[in-house]
Parts: sequence; structure tokens; C-alpha cells
Amino acid sequence: MTAYFDSNATTRLAPEALEAMLPFLGESYGNPSAFCRFGRALLDPMEGARIELAHLLGADPSEIIFTSGGTESNNMAIKGAVRLMPGRNRIVASAVEHPAVMEPLAFLERNGMEISSVPVDGEGMLDLAELESLLDEDVALVTVMMANNETGVIFPMQQVAEMAHRAGALFHTDAVQAVGKIPVDVQQIGADMISVSAHKLHGPKGTGAIYIKGGIDLPPLIHGGHHECGLRAGTYNVPGIVGLGKAVALAARELDRQGRDLSSMRRRIEEMILESCPGSSILGSGSPRLPNTICVVFEGVESEAVLTMLDMAGICASSGSACSTGQSGPSHVFRAMGLSDALANSAVRISFDRYTTEGDERLLAAHLPQIIEKLRAISPYS
Amino acid sequence: MWNYSQKLLDHFTNPRNVGSLDNPDGHAEVGSPECGDAMQLDIRVDADDRIEEALFMTFGCASAIASASALTEMVKGRTLAEAESLENDQIVEYLGGMPEEKIHCSVMGSEAMRRAIADFRSRRDRVRQAIASLPPELSRALEGCSLPLERAGATRVELVCGGEGRPPVEELERYLADRAGHSVEVKVSV
Repeated sequence: MTAYFDSNATTRLAPEALEAMLPFLGESYGNPSAFCRFGRALLDPMEGARIELAHLLGADPSEIIFTSGGTESNNMAIKGAVRLMPGRNRIVASAVEHPAVMEPLAFLERNGMEISSVPVDGEGMLDLAELESLLDEDVALVTVMMANNETGVIFPMQQVAEMAHRAGALFHTDAVQAVGKIPVDVQQIGADMISVSAHKLHGPKGTGAIYIKGGIDLPPLIHGGHHECGLRAGTYNVPGIVGLGKAVALAARELDRQGRDLSSMRRRIEEMILESCPGSSILGSGSPRLPNTICVVFEGVESEAVLTMLDMAGICASSGSACSTGQSGPSHVFRAMGLSDALANSAVRISFDRYTTEGDERLLAAHLPQIIEKLRAISPYS
Repeated sequence: MWNYSQKLLDHFTNPRNVGSLDNPDGHAEVGSPECGDAMQLDIRVDADDRIEEALFMTFGCASAIASASALTEMVKGRTLAEAESLENDQIVEYLGGMPEEKIHCSVMGSEAMRRAIADFRSRRDRVRQAIASLPPELSRALEGCSLPLERAGATRVELVCGGEGRPPVEELERYLADRAGHSVEVKVSV
């Protein structure tokens, strides 16, 4: 028996998306940019995907550009925004962004841009007062994720967007963890750019999109052919885009029911953990969170030991700690939350999705408490 | 998930010699939870300088726990000199290999062993120094008995008494504990 509890890392491809993609990996292999019907016939399915995503986000299809995924979308938004706002030399970002935002920012910093970091509190929530104080006419871009990948904490997009715009800055959000899990409406949020990833919402890997608000003349990141109105060169990843479209359509259809189901699953799993694992606490529980994410600290127990025992029991979960990801030191997210390194080394992330079954939940409940008990018995700190 | 050997996984899931000693002959703490790995080691050493018992507690990943478990198995019954010269690659070999990135976990094991032995020696030195400089009144009360220095351990001392009468065991224990900074058991033999 196996159970997958690492949906924030990636999700399984929806069977419907796979089915929709298959023809484009087989007989429908034409190049959509070609003149002949062989290729032209592929434009419709691709445009269909664009419409689906526009519909999910409350955007116009002309505002959707397909990319290779969340990382490319983030790079395009961040590096493009700087070019769009000459004379403004600062970017403001939250302290808990994903490396796909942090690293482009670090690159720009090495090239002369100034980067300001907005702290979060102990519950993982963004410090809006601090954000406000960092904003002035020198800020080109505010980039703040919609929901954090490790804690699931959801940031108040509308307020961040308003603040950014009052300062005359552009606002981008890395929404790869949010889209398909919670309602995302570009009109309501007022974001200028939004990054989307297909594989986080049961679409294929290597596909994503960026929403660019109409009227914003973002320059391309990748130069070449005239694809995507010259905004993103490269032969279309037709199967990927079609898969993204199908996954998005399913997400739109399932959003409400799935949100309710995941919320109750989260409540049940959290109750199970808190009741049966001594020394456990849920990070960010005082903040609004994604319905599918639990970040739990098991005091006195090292997270990778927990993950290894879970893995031996057929259960896949993850952590933001040093050993498992090959980085040095605990996750920057936990540090930003003011968590001691000792507790940060004890944090485990349990994330799930609409394919997670009650059987998976039972398997987790059957193993996790005894794993924690066993490891606490070995630990000098429990 | 790392590629672990069956033996390593066995020592991880069924760790041997977990626990701590009430009044250990040697104690060591290495690493810290901040660094992601921490280990505590207690040893009991017999009068022939052999490791009678070694117990550990570990906060750490599978390799850290397995390394500590393997270490305690490997040193049991060994002389201090043998245990001291134990290198971390012997722990790695004992466990059937370890991912390169995890070798530091085995280093923690051999480090803990060396520190526990150093702690044992310093405890024993304090006890032996105390015996060598008994106050006159205690010396007088111990007349007819002898305290062989070379048989005195870190927490256990042998008092050889030939004559009649009850030797002042409690006074001696109090004195030794006071001077050594840890409790010392006095065993009377004839």
C-alpha cells in the first residue's frame, strides 16, 4: 500500500488530461505555427486551453501566455518588470518566496537592483505595515506569493496589490500553489502578473502560463519566433498546453466541492496528529491557509527520520529541512517565521489533493503516531 | 529518499542500546538540534578498562540513528584503546555503506565515543586524586583497609578490608562524590 502526501511538490496528471494530451503525442504532431492544415488544426485545442485558463482566472484569453512552467513565468514577470520601469531601482518581495522568485531576485541584485524583503509573523502571515513602509517611488515591482508552498498560508492579495499600485509599482504574484485550490480572480485581486504551473493542479510537468494584464507591455524573456504574439518564442508544447487546459477545466469544475473535501480532510488529519502525536503543533494555524496543506512540527524528532520511516511504510511526505533537499540549513520560510532551527529541523509537510483517498488517510493515521512515538523514544530532547 | 542499505535501515528502525545511564562512567553530547543532528552517549567501563555498556539517544536522520546504534554494538566488550581508535569509516562499513552526503553522521558517532572516553578518564582521574589525598580523619577511619588506586574506576571504587568492624563506607562515598563531582559507589571486599 502506498499513499501520496506531497501534492505541493507535484500532483498526478488527471486521467482526463492524459487522455486529452495523447492525440498530440501521436498523430496530431503538426506545428501549429505552420501554414498547412496539419498544423493549423492544432490552434483550436490550444486556444481552448487559453480560454479555460482565462475563465478560471476571470481574465481575457489575450492576457494568457503559455510558458514552460512557474519558474519561467516568475522570471519573465520579474525581469520584465524591471525593464518596464526604468528609473525605479528596487523590488519588494516577501521573505518567504519560493526559490523560483528568490533566485531571479538575487540575480537582479547582483546586477545592481535593490531588493527589500517583507517579513512574516510567527503565524507565517505577511507584515502589511512593514510592506507599506517599504514602498516608495523607487519601487518597480512588488512580488508576493499568493500562498506559501511550505505552510500553505494565504496572503491578502488585494491589499498588497493596492499598496503596490499606490506606490506606482507593478504587482506580480507567484500563484502556483493557489490556482486550482482556491478561487483566484484577477479582477478582484488587481494583479498585473500571475504565475501559474500546470503540474501543481493535475496538469503535465513542463507547462505553465503567465497572466499579463491587458495594457502592460511586458517584454519577452525568451526571444526567437513570433509565437505568443512575440512574447514567448519557441514551438508550442501542444500536448502540455492541451493537458493544462483540461486540468484547468477540471479544477474549475471541482473547485468548490474539492475545497470543502480538502478542508475536512485537513481538519481530520490535523486532529489525528494533535491527538495522537505528543509534542506536535501545526505551523501557521492562526492564518488563512490552503485547504490541502499541513505543516506540522514534531518536537524532539528530526524531520528526515520521520520521512524515512513514512517512506518505508509507503507514505510520501516532505520537509523543508536541510538534509532532504540538499540545501544548507533549515528552510528560509521557518526562519522568517522566527522558528528556532531546532524546531525547523522537526517540521514535516503533509499536502494532498483531490485524488487523496480515505484509504490514504487511514494509512497515514495507522503509521504516523507510532513513528513519532518510536523516534521520540530515541530522542534526547523529548 | 536516500539509497540506504538493509543493515542501515535495520539499525534505524530497530536501534540497539537506546537509553541513558543513571550515573555513567563517561558521558558525551555532540551536535545540536539546530544543526539537525545531535547525539548523547553514556558508557560504563569495567575495572579492566573494557566497555561494559554503551547507551545512546539521537536526534537526527536515519543515518545518524543507525550510526549511533552501530557504534554501541561495535564497542561493547572492547578496550578503551580499541574503542578510541574506532574510525567513522568502520561504522560506515559495518552498516554496509552510507550515501556520501551522510558520512558526517558516522563522524558524529566516533566523535561521541572519543569524548565519552575522555570524560571517563577525567572522572576517574578526579576519583583517583581524591583517593590519593584522603583527609587524615578519613584515613584513620580506614585503617586496616586499602583502596587500590589502579582498581578505582570513575564511579566504582573497591575497598579491601581485612579486619573486623564496619568500614566507613558512607563517609567515603560522600567524600569521593564531593571531590569528584559525581556519585561514586564503594564496594567492600575482603
